[in-house]
Amino acid sequence: MSTAAAGVIDHHHDPSTSTGIPNKKLVMWMFLASDCMFFGCLISTHLIYRLHPPAGAPNARQVFSIELTSFSTFILLMSSLMMALAVNAIQKGNLKSLRASLLTTIFFGCIFLGCQVYEFSHFVSEKHMTITNSILGTTFFTLTGTHGLHVLIGVIWLTAMLIYSYTGRLSEKDSIDVEMMGLYWHFVDIVWIVIFTAVYLLEYIS
Amino acid sequence: MSTAAAAASSHADHGLEESKFQIYVQIAMLLAVITGMEIVTVYLPFAAWLLVTALVVMSAVKFLFVIFYFMHLRWDKPFCTILFFIGLILGGGTMFGLLKLFGAAASVPILNQ
Amino acid sequence: MADALVKSDFLGKEDRAEPKPFVLYRPTAKTGLISWLTTVDHKRIGFLYGAFALFFFLVGGVEALLIRIQLFSPNNSFLTAQQYNEMFTMHATTMIFLAIMPLSAAFFNFIMPLQVGARDVAFPRLNAFSLWVFVAGAIIVNLGWFLPDGAPNGGWFGYTPLTTKAFIPGHSIDLWVMGLQLLGVASIAASLNFIVTIINLRAPGMTMMRLPVFTWMTLVTAFLIVLAFPAITIALVELMMDRLFGTNFFEVSNGGMPILWTHLFWVFGHPEVYILILPGMGIISEILPCFSRKPLFGYPIVVFSGAAIGFLGFGVWSHHMFTTGMGTMATAAFSLTTMAIAVPTGVKIFNWIGTLWGGHLQMRTPMMFALGFIWLFMIGGFSGVMHAAAPADAQQHNSYFVVAHFHYVLIGGSLFALLAGIHYWFPLIFGRKVSETWGKLSFWLIFIGFNVTFFPMHFIGLNGMPRRTFTYDPNMGWTAGNRVATVGAFILGIGVAVYFAVMIYTRYKGEKISRDPWDARTLEWSLPIPVPEYNYRVLPTIHARDEFWYDKHHRAEIEQEQAAHLKEEHAHGGIHMPFQSIYPFTAGIGMLIGGIGVGAVDASPASVLIGPKLAVTLIGGLIAIVSIFLWALEGNEGYHLHPDEDGAEPGHGAQPSSGHPH
Repeated sequence: MSTAAAGVIDHHHDPSTSTGIPNKKLVMWMFLASDCMFFGCLISTHLIYRLHPPAGAPNARQVFSIELTSFSTFILLMSSLMMALAVNAIQKGNLKSLRASLLTTIFFGCIFLGCQVYEFSHFVSEKHMTITNSILGTTFFTLTGTHGLHVLIGVIWLTAMLIYSYTGRLSEKDSIDVEMMGLYWHFVDIVWIVIFTAVYLLEYIS
Repeated sequence: MSTAAAAASSHADHGLEESKFQIYVQIAMLLAVITGMEIVTVYLPFAAWLLVTALVVMSAVKFLFVIFYFMHLRWDKPFCTILFFIGLILGGGTMFGLLKLFGAAASVPILNQ
Repeated sequence: MADALVKSDFLGKEDRAEPKPFVLYRPTAKTGLISWLTTVDHKRIGFLYGAFALFFFLVGGVEALLIRIQLFSPNNSFLTAQQYNEMFTMHATTMIFLAIMPLSAAFFNFIMPLQVGARDVAFPRLNAFSLWVFVAGAIIVNLGWFLPDGAPNGGWFGYTPLTTKAFIPGHSIDLWVMGLQLLGVASIAASLNFIVTIINLRAPGMTMMRLPVFTWMTLVTAFLIVLAFPAITIALVELMMDRLFGTNFFEVSNGGMPILWTHLFWVFGHPEVYILILPGMGIISEILPCFSRKPLFGYPIVVFSGAAIGFLGFGVWSHHMFTTGMGTMATAAFSLTTMAIAVPTGVKIFNWIGTLWGGHLQMRTPMMFALGFIWLFMIGGFSGVMHAAAPADAQQHNSYFVVAHFHYVLIGGSLFALLAGIHYWFPLIFGRKVSETWGKLSFWLIFIGFNVTFFPMHFIGLNGMPRRTFTYDPNMGWTAGNRVATVGAFILGIGVAVYFAVMIYTRYKGEKISRDPWDARTLEWSLPIPVPEYNYRVLPTIHARDEFWYDKHHRAEIEQEQAAHLKEEHAHGGIHMPFQSIYPFTAGIGMLIGGIGVGAVDASPASVLIGPKLAVTLIGGLIAIVSIFLWALEGNEGYHLHPDEDGAEPGHGAQPSSGHPH
């Protein structure tokens, strides 16, 4: 059974595995299932503490800035688009397009992180909500901080991949590695979709 | 597989690839629009339960678009979807259980009563 | 197969990688210390897990004996209260995380790839990484014994607010937290590997419903680990942040709720106990058919029940919290789900009995341990169902009745099954068979010692003796029970000592065997002993459940198939083997140092920019990150082996032996 056109790699099917799913893809999906439980418990902690806020707790509506958060949400969503395009590019062997898409993804990721850093310092200095002075501060900063850490790890991974793409050793046959990284990045995005609603938007409903 | 058929199928793949690009861009636009709708929703003068439901549904729609299209589940083997949904359902179920437990009257902190 | 080769990374014909910068050089030592530190062979990794597990099992056993000595007499002063707290904390933490789980992992590693017909796990270096991070976690958790703040002393369940800084300010708890985090990382990484291996690396014809039950239980356990550990990871992160940074997760004065810890812990903790028992159930499901000389009764139901137990196990966690005032609805709901989970468990027991029924029983040592398992696990199940009824649990909670229950399921269940597995697979791993007389002696000593120790605890528990208290009053009526239990513990200790002595003796001087000593049913027994590095010379084709049994009764067909496949594999370049690597080991070292930094080093006065704590943690983190980068850069190439017909290798990738076209 030979593939008709020489060098055509099937990116959806790996014949060396029992299911046809590449090992790396399978392991990443399983890891993401695990990460669902991880963030599920962390988000649960935050929501549990929002059920019966103690007296004197900071008023979330007065602390949060919906404009800034909406902007950073939009940025992260766009970074997901760029990541999908990056995977698309490497699957066609288009290194130039891959590099451009990766760079844009990293750029958007950094903007998101920058917004988070600004938001955190703003909350601490202007709104006087710190990680230690209230339960809202504790759960908010821990949850969004952990998510931010995941974004940072993603940005580092993306940067390493971008640099590697300039060494001449990255080509279409390595698409699975980029795809695996893409799955991680998208997951970080969908966690933010949940956080944006559960942590920010819900506070604005009276 | 003859070379003619192979050429035809790779051309079809090429067509699919082109449309995938477009699909991704369209979905990104959709996600942006839904996000905008979410932000507007919180200021609407409706009952809390209705607004919360609307928000949850909109977030879920965004979530599903990202996993099925950006993360490729729509075109991969169903097993990947099953694996992820196991984690999702367990995580969601645990969250539901915990919130129900802490929301019960017996669990309201004494200091708050 | 052709496509596999196009996609394969193993395109080199050399047994050494092409010259690269020295950090990317691949180690090739096959003997000596370096070969063990750089191994990626699942069999060696399994052996190491087993060796560490058995060592820590002895440590945990000593901790138990010290507890029993203290409880021999009322108001005893053999241990102080602080020492006693350390003992029961470390006994449990050691036995659960450093003995039972890694012993199970030893079997997952050694046996499972052989049972699915693979040559190794899906990610060999990740496998090695899991091992070394496990060792790092084990070290950190035990480091406190050698430090002034002492060993962890907040219970294996670490309930807040006792474990917050306000009540235990020293590093004992920090080390417990960091140790557990590393153990969690190790477990999750290993389980991801096992899942991909079982799903994706099965030999041709090995459908999921032809998998041996042990492999099925490996899969379910791996799923449980991957989905349950995140809960304790979060709980530990929250506790650590409270302790290190003064956050308010469990700080009541600022709105925190200590009960949250208890919930998150048991969201993990309940699936954890199924993680502890399911591998044992898998082992029993292999041993009973072998020594009853008939197939497992109701294979699909046994598999389905195992999966059901795993899934339902996520819905019962608050049965550990019936007395915490959750409210009637919650208590009733969890009581019901807990009773429900007894059903698939009971179904499995009926199936095991069905396997024995009408069989030609061979009472070898593994079979004795297996029969002991069925009976003792059942007793543990009965006391468990008694706990499921919340009103009864109100009396039993925190008493010795609970201690009796979980030791029946953990020792009578998990440990007996693992001890059975060691006897059963000893010939495969070491090429020697354990003497029946001595094996049976160790069984009886362990069986008798165990029951003498733990049966009385049902009674003293129902008579009110609380757990985790270092003394008791002489007029409570508990003295006799405690005395009997302590005597039993020493008999158990002697039994374990005999068991270990027998194992060590047999390893070096035991009766040598060559192949299939038990006339068994599953694939791992089809291999020559010692098992070659590459496992299968020719990847098997699977025709049925209990494939080896099928092979033995269709010899001619199998031989023809194998000859044809051997030709194919030779044509494709031979057997692909992964290169060894030092980076999993160095990444483990990095995590050890980082863990010590967070857990044991004192924070510095605020005036210093980077104090010792941050410095040590950063150095460890840096070593781990650099190791991971180099791991990625060194690539996953490998080399080829061409074993000739009787299995001997004429040197790696060397000139072909005569008669084989390459």
